[in-house]
Amino acid sequence: MVTEEEIEKVAKLMKIEVEDHKEYVDKVHAMIDYFDILDSAGVDDEEISMPEIPITALREDKHIPFDEKLIEKLNHYKGTYVRAPKMS
Amino acid sequence: MNLKISALDYVQEVQNGNISAEDFTAATLERIHSVDEKLHAFLSVNDDAINQAREIDKKIKSGDKVGACFGMPISIKDNMCIKNSKTTCASKMLENFVAPYDATVISKLKEQDAIFIGKANMDEFAMGLTTEFSAYGPSKNPWNVDCTPGGSSGGSAVSVSAFECVASLGSDTGGSVRNPASFCSAVGYKPTYGLISRYGLISYANSIEQIGPVTRTVKDTAFLLNMITGLDPNDNTTVDNKNEDYLSGIDSGVEGKKIGIIKEMMAEGTDPAVISATKDAVSKLEGLGAICEEVSLDMVKYSVAAYYTITATEAGSNLARYDNLRYGYDFSLEGYEFNSYIQKARKNFGPEVTRRMIIGGFVPSAGHAGKYFLKALKVKNKLTKEINEAFKKYDLLIAPTVPILPFKLGEKIDDPVALFLVDINTVTANLTGKPAISVPFAVSNGLPIGIQLLADSMNDKMLLQAAHALEQTVKLPEVPI
Amino acid sequence: MTKIGLEIHCQLTNLESKLFCSCKANYRQFEINENICPVCMGLPGSLPRLNQDAVKKATMIAMALNCSTPDKIAFFRKNYFYPDLPKNFQITQLNIYGDTSVGGPGSIMVGDKEIRITRIQLEEDPGRLIYEGSSSKNQITLVDYNRAGTPLVEIVTEPDFENPKQVREFLNILSDLLENLGVSDPSLEGAMRADANVSIEGGKKVEIKNIGSFHDLEKAVHFEITRQESLHSREIEIAQETRHWDDKRKITISSRSKEEALDYRYFLEGDIPWVTIDPAIQEKLKSEMPESISSKKERYVSKYSIPNQVADVLSSDKFYSDLFEDSHTESNAKEIANIITTDLMGLVDTREKREASKITAIHLRDLADAIQTGKISRNSAKNALHEIVKTGKDLSQVMSDLDLGNVSDESELLTVIKDVISEEPQAVEQAKSNPQTINYLVGKVMQKTKGKADPKLTLDLLKKQIE
Ligand SMILES: [Zn+2]
Repeated sequence: MVTEEEIEKVAKLMKIEVEDHKEYVDKVHAMIDYFDILDSAGVDDEEISMPEIPITALREDKHIPFDEKLIEKLNHYKGTYVRAPKMS
Repeated sequence: MNLKISALDYVQEVQNGNISAEDFTAATLERIHSVDEKLHAFLSVNDDAINQAREIDKKIKSGDKVGACFGMPISIKDNMCIKNSKTTCASKMLENFVAPYDATVISKLKEQDAIFIGKANMDEFAMGLTTEFSAYGPSKNPWNVDCTPGGSSGGSAVSVSAFECVASLGSDTGGSVRNPASFCSAVGYKPTYGLISRYGLISYANSIEQIGPVTRTVKDTAFLLNMITGLDPNDNTTVDNKNEDYLSGIDSGVEGKKIGIIKEMMAEGTDPAVISATKDAVSKLEGLGAICEEVSLDMVKYSVAAYYTITATEAGSNLARYDNLRYGYDFSLEGYEFNSYIQKARKNFGPEVTRRMIIGGFVPSAGHAGKYFLKALKVKNKLTKEINEAFKKYDLLIAPTVPILPFKLGEKIDDPVALFLVDINTVTANLTGKPAISVPFAVSNGLPIGIQLLADSMNDKMLLQAAHALEQTVKLPEVPI
Repeated sequence: MTKIGLEIHCQLTNLESKLFCSCKANYRQFEINENICPVCMGLPGSLPRLNQDAVKKATMIAMALNCSTPDKIAFFRKNYFYPDLPKNFQITQLNIYGDTSVGGPGSIMVGDKEIRITRIQLEEDPGRLIYEGSSSKNQITLVDYNRAGTPLVEIVTEPDFENPKQVREFLNILSDLLENLGVSDPSLEGAMRADANVSIEGGKKVEIKNIGSFHDLEKAVHFEITRQESLHSREIEIAQETRHWDDKRKITISSRSKEEALDYRYFLEGDIPWVTIDPAIQEKLKSEMPESISSKKERYVSKYSIPNQVADVLSSDKFYSDLFEDSHTESNAKEIANIITTDLMGLVDTREKREASKITAIHLRDLADAIQTGKISRNSAKNALHEIVKTGKDLSQVMSDLDLGNVSDESELLTVIKDVISEEPQAVEQAKSNPQTINYLVGKVMQKTKGKADPKLTLDLLKKQIE
């Protein structure tokens, strides 16, 4: 069973502020509980596989500047600096 | 103006001079204005479409080289970037995001003189299968406006089946193209993983999702695939299809093909109408010379849990960038400290995205990865092995696209686990990277039923041939709108 | 026993483009936020495009540090929120599913001490944060993303160092090695950064983060050992903690302890398939690798009989050894080594002077030839070198501009010799009876020609005249 504290801790980690507590906690609970079915799949000995690409197919090391001033299309502040809130 | 024609017919008609791109586009816009208030397939409509159509007509008249789409109006799911236009993912979080670049599929279709008539509605960040999680309100099923059109590419399927465009591009993470195509009686395609570049598709679960066409006919899907598939230097996960022509030989039929009927996808809880449609489809294919028999994929039982574990993990990471610092929506950072600002800013995520962010933080976390995320990856691996085994014996696999009929809006929105199970037949193709298609096959009590065919990786062409054969065996009623 | 482990972050400054996009790897030349694109800004829908040469260069570093290099490498996401990370995750490497980072375990000798390398990983550098505002109340954070996504190689060692001296020796070897491989310029600001962990006998492990240069790394380690020993001697317990290096005050400061343990939720980056580097390609990379410093040194000593110490200096510095390699032949090698180590090094002893220097391999070859054939004296050669470094002119031009060529014209030299003989009758008589003293007369000739007389010719002519 997943505890309410665990869910709150994770919400904080994900920078999610949960107000309507019951609504979220109950549904998230139900969803995570459903995942318990994975325990009976008997897959402990399975590997993890991924697609592969040969190194020769990777991008060549060339400098090609982006064709526009990207910063002008973004939110920014103070000349061309991006502003962030203070770091506490 | 007949707006109900297929993409291939449209091209023919324009080439023959029977219709102009401008007239067709104008009629399409008129159609959108008259029906979309009710259906809500679109989040935004391209104001410049008429001008673009006029330019293409000019090129046609003056004998200049014209792209293969000849100004065909196509709708684009609002999670693909079109340069200088809004791309919201149906989220308040990206309310003001204007993409500064084109997705690869968009550049390719622009070269072929397609017109992007509008951005299609969807579940927020593609998380959902009813479009009810769109921050801008759900789309409605044109077959019955009280019902969901399916999702997450609901807007794409609605716009095609209600003649608000000729074809559409959606994206399919766990059935998001095939599910709404089935619910709206359109053709929906999920290609082999890597066949279509994802560059410019806003990621939800990047290791398993693909862009896919929604069209009126299987041939139209093949036509679109010819334009948008292939290696893309901007996407390291794309595969080389050697410029395959998916349209040539599309009527090769299924004679002698071995088809496996997936047992676990017709399990308890499947609607009897869906079962009988599937049995009908099997006998039609047998009538065309195919050999069909039941096959079991044991891991399908665990596929939905694995699917949601993997997608939540990837989404938790993919959506982390939405902190509203560099782009997003208007929300001043004055007076906030970093953490509190981001937490406040991310309140613009809707409830389903919020839930999945929490799950996405939980299942791969240090204390829980072994129980959830790693196990899910292992199920994915075992399921892939199982289906690879099956494809040693069978050319194709068949199953209903969705085990149930389109249901009422609001009916399942409060029960996330009930919604999970609607995905049971579609997630396998995503988890294993195999191509799959939903073909409109029956209408039961005025609600469409789609049949799903799957093939082995890179056998997309054979899959389309079989789908075309199946499509030719039925004549379906017209959408009642 | 004191234990020190290092995590060294080394930028691959010699690459053209960033790790996952085509923006410039050397971001230092740009205006704020001018070196960015949708990929390195992590815009919605953008995907990483891995730089082939970055993988090759990182693999070379691994090979040079005697690390294993797997035939398949994987990338992972390290998830945490920070304003300098546009995606709020960093793409990096890890060995949780077998050895899949560019370099596996290896080791390197530092003097007599073996230092084990845990792993070598390729990852992206974040952007740069600038804090403004005088108090914490009006503080704001500004971000420049020009650096975001530039290629970084992290070298992680086991805690095998026992003192700051070993750390310094290791860093010297590493800097020379990176420069010799042509992957990085360690002298660029911010190109080399490090974290360290330090523990003394009986104490807990302390991490020191944020050390901005190799120079400071040695200082930080030294400071930390002293601090811990001082605590220990007063029987105060050394807490396990993370400290930051304050590069203004040159001390380590405890990081606020409320910083909760982060859970990075590492998982495979699905946008980058596993990259296969098959053995044939690895062999090719190995063969393309520049000769190692130690093998160079050995060759200089054994093939050209260059003295040990000269060979040491020459081989460990890429600037000089490249000049040497490009200019030397079997017959002039020793002479060139001599010119470089005794004269050139004094002339270009700073980075600025090196960069401004106009000297080429051709200059060195010409100079060595001129010395060996007696066209120029060693003394004049020194002056010529000075002028060449400054102007880049040909040696012949410099010699005529500064009138440095040896007087080797017989009749011209003879006139001078005759003058000397008539001015120094005593010395001439002495030389007749004692040939050793003839050198005095040679010196006089040299004086009169301002050192430009060909010494051998002068001697021959003098002998003839006296007899
Ligand atoms: Zn970039």
